[in-house]
Amino acid sequence: MSNVRDTALHSGESTTSELAATGVLGVSFAAFVASWALIFQWVDETATVAGLSVLRLLGVGLIAAAVGLVAIGVASRMDALDTTPSPTAGFAVGLVVGLLWSIVGAVLATALLGAGTLLWVPAALAFGVAGSLSSLLPREDIGSTVPVSLVIAVLGGAIALGRLDAGWTWEPSWLSATVPGSELVPILVVFGSLLAVWSGAKARNGFGAQGREAGAFALIGTVVFGMLAVLALLIGFIVVNGLETMLTGASLFGGQVTVPVIGVTLPWVNFPFLTNVTGGLFVEVPGVLPATLGTLWLVFGAVLFAVPLGVGAAVFLTEYAERGRFTQVVEVATNGLWSTPSIVFGLFGLAFLVPRISGGNSIIVGQLVLGFMLLPLVLITSREAILAVPDEYRDASAALGVTKWQTIRSVVVPAAMPGTITGVILGVGRIAGETAPLLLVFGGPPYPSQTPNVLGSFQLTATPPFVTNEALLSPASALPYQLYSTITAGVFPKEIFTDSEFGWGTALILLLVVIGLYAIGVGSRLYFRRKLHHE
Amino acid sequence: MHGLVAGWIVLAFLLFFVGSQWTVLPVIGFLGTMAYGWVRYQAEAAKGLTFLTTILTVAILALIISFLLIRSVPIVQEMGVDLLTKTEPAGNIWGANGGTVWSLTPMMVGTAITTVIATVVAAPLGIAGAVFISEMAPTRVREVVKPGIELMAGIPSITYGFIGLTIVNQYFYLEFTTPTIGNYLAAGIMIGIMALPTIVTVAEDALSTVPESMKSGSLAMGSTEWQTTKSVTIPAALSGVSAGILLGIGRAMGETMAATVMLSHTKGFPTPVFDVFAGYGETLTTVIAFEGGNASGLHLSALFAGGVVLFFMVMVLSVTSQFVEWRMEKKLRGEQ
Repeated sequence: MSNVRDTALHSGESTTSELAATGVLGVSFAAFVASWALIFQWVDETATVAGLSVLRLLGVGLIAAAVGLVAIGVASRMDALDTTPSPTAGFAVGLVVGLLWSIVGAVLATALLGAGTLLWVPAALAFGVAGSLSSLLPREDIGSTVPVSLVIAVLGGAIALGRLDAGWTWEPSWLSATVPGSELVPILVVFGSLLAVWSGAKARNGFGAQGREAGAFALIGTVVFGMLAVLALLIGFIVVNGLETMLTGASLFGGQVTVPVIGVTLPWVNFPFLTNVTGGLFVEVPGVLPATLGTLWLVFGAVLFAVPLGVGAAVFLTEYAERGRFTQVVEVATNGLWSTPSIVFGLFGLAFLVPRISGGNSIIVGQLVLGFMLLPLVLITSREAILAVPDEYRDASAALGVTKWQTIRSVVVPAAMPGTITGVILGVGRIAGETAPLLLVFGGPPYPSQTPNVLGSFQLTATPPFVTNEALLSPASALPYQLYSTITAGVFPKEIFTDSEFGWGTALILLLVVIGLYAIGVGSRLYFRRKLHHE
Repeated sequence: MHGLVAGWIVLAFLLFFVGSQWTVLPVIGFLGTMAYGWVRYQAEAAKGLTFLTTILTVAILALIISFLLIRSVPIVQEMGVDLLTKTEPAGNIWGANGGTVWSLTPMMVGTAITTVIATVVAAPLGIAGAVFISEMAPTRVREVVKPGIELMAGIPSITYGFIGLTIVNQYFYLEFTTPTIGNYLAAGIMIGIMALPTIVTVAEDALSTVPESMKSGSLAMGSTEWQTTKSVTIPAALSGVSAGILLGIGRAMGETMAATVMLSHTKGFPTPVFDVFAGYGETLTTVIAFEGGNASGLHLSALFAGGVVLFFMVMVLSVTSQFVEWRMEKKLRGEQ
């Protein structure tokens, strides 16, 4: 693609317009961020800056952006600026502006003529058509600035003049809630500022194809920026809220560990939230040990069940089966399993496995149900990994005169292992946080006072099934289940934490487990990919 | 040999099906036969084993479908078509508290409302994210954003639900004075955020499978990158992008925990239907998760019927999206 830019030639003339457009962009982006701060209530609606309330300031900002846009548009139309506008602003702009204008029309008609009449319908239609035409008919520099600016200016004006302020409320008859101005204004400003960013970026690059590209990129960039900010906020929020609970009583050298053979006591990490049980009489700092162990057992069982099955089926589908009706059916079934809602797996476990295996909630049924959920993911990823093994490998092996099975065992499966391992780790991250099926087939008491003793419970019996394990057949707790039962059970049995403090702590541990698994998965993918490309 | 293995498996399944403690015997028999086969004819045994695992994968899906159907037979016999269409009596439509009428209609309406809200939130944002990652972002930004989005998919739904319960629900209750703590809008937005990564990932995959030669051709004609994206890449990948949206809708429909924690579990019809703040809140998934643990008899059967409805709606979405993707592959390979 071309990197040649001709800005240097006429940069002397276009500085003013670029400066103005940059100003519009800056103001709009500031308004965008400020409205989010208001929505998240970091800034109070009643706060004042330089004598103006925040909301009015937002309105003034929108008006300034609108005025700037109109100025650039008109100056460009008078050929005072060096721009390259197209003859028309394009269908997309016409559609957006038409929609916006029709909303303005409907609101105005309802405000002026009263809500009872149906007059807002023709008003909205008339405004919409007028808006569309006003943006489609003139040259692009007018069409993509002035009609949009009008909408922004109307919104900004209503806010700046105090017609829409924090105390204003909207109670439509078809909504059970009241929409207060203090919340509606920032939400509207978010959309208004996005419009201004779009239009301003177009103007900054002189309209035309270049301008439209800049506009689209600015708009998408801002939206994606907002999206990632929300993600970061979610994680940050859990960390901030959960950290104190998680670190209660924790210290690097506060604990003690006795070396078994020598009998010397050494200082050790003390982490009561992770190493204590939840319930029980003598626990000072209740912890999530039973839930953590429960999650580990669940994941272990699910992997033990799903990985051999998934890899086996992937080998059969890629190496043995002819592509045809049968593989197609398996593919549809796999994708169907993958998209089946988790609660449906829970129902299946409740109907099929529970009465036949344990007669009640139990660890082993939980393991099997999560294994069912993990199976399609393992199958899909390991199948992709096997398909990615180059045919040269198989040919080279076959040329040595070994059988097909030996090729598969010694060449294909080892070569596909990295991809499979990555897929399994990512899948485990997914099922480790799964809650819904556990509610139906797994969950025990909300605040367990002992950990599941699976290893110590194996027993040989004289009657079939000869080997029994009481612990596997009894219910337990897992991290996501613990969080759910903390939320719903209501009163936390200890005074040291409130209900939600314990919940945040549990959520943080859960998040750490899942993020840890993901980091390992993504890291191993990068590592293997690099190895594949460079060696 | 094949017959023996098949016999052991059928016997094991039948014994397990009737809940016999003797299931262990055919399992031992199967393992023994397999071990013998492995020693004597390893290649054959391996092929047979992998074939068995494939069959088992399909069989699990078949078992899920048949058990959902079998367990929902009693309620269908009791209620007939009313199960899915009845809207009266308004106050007592779900017989959990001693009533005799069981109707899934309010939950279906609830699922529809939350799914529509989630789609409205997630679809545009998801497409924007996909275009950003595959067409706009410099390599370094992409390497951060893409795993970030994948990580977002991995955050457990119960965590989203906890945040929704403590923050979003309180926000709407205090600021918008909603009649109940928890409403369809809050739950729908949260579900939308959760469905977002699915859409971004699938749509981004579709966008990046468009052959580089198509894009280069367009750029060589002098179009800008955005014109190429808008007029070449997106139209070529349209079916893949829509497959992503369909999958996202499926995820939103099946999303359980966030909605279970956030909604108020009151069943009824908001009037008008777009009153997202009405004092009702129950979807197909939440009713199963919330009541499934201690339901029995007709009640449990009604929950299974809810599972059937859910399963088939999601299955239709999944199969459609596969079909759409398959068509795109065919088109890009130039067979159409």
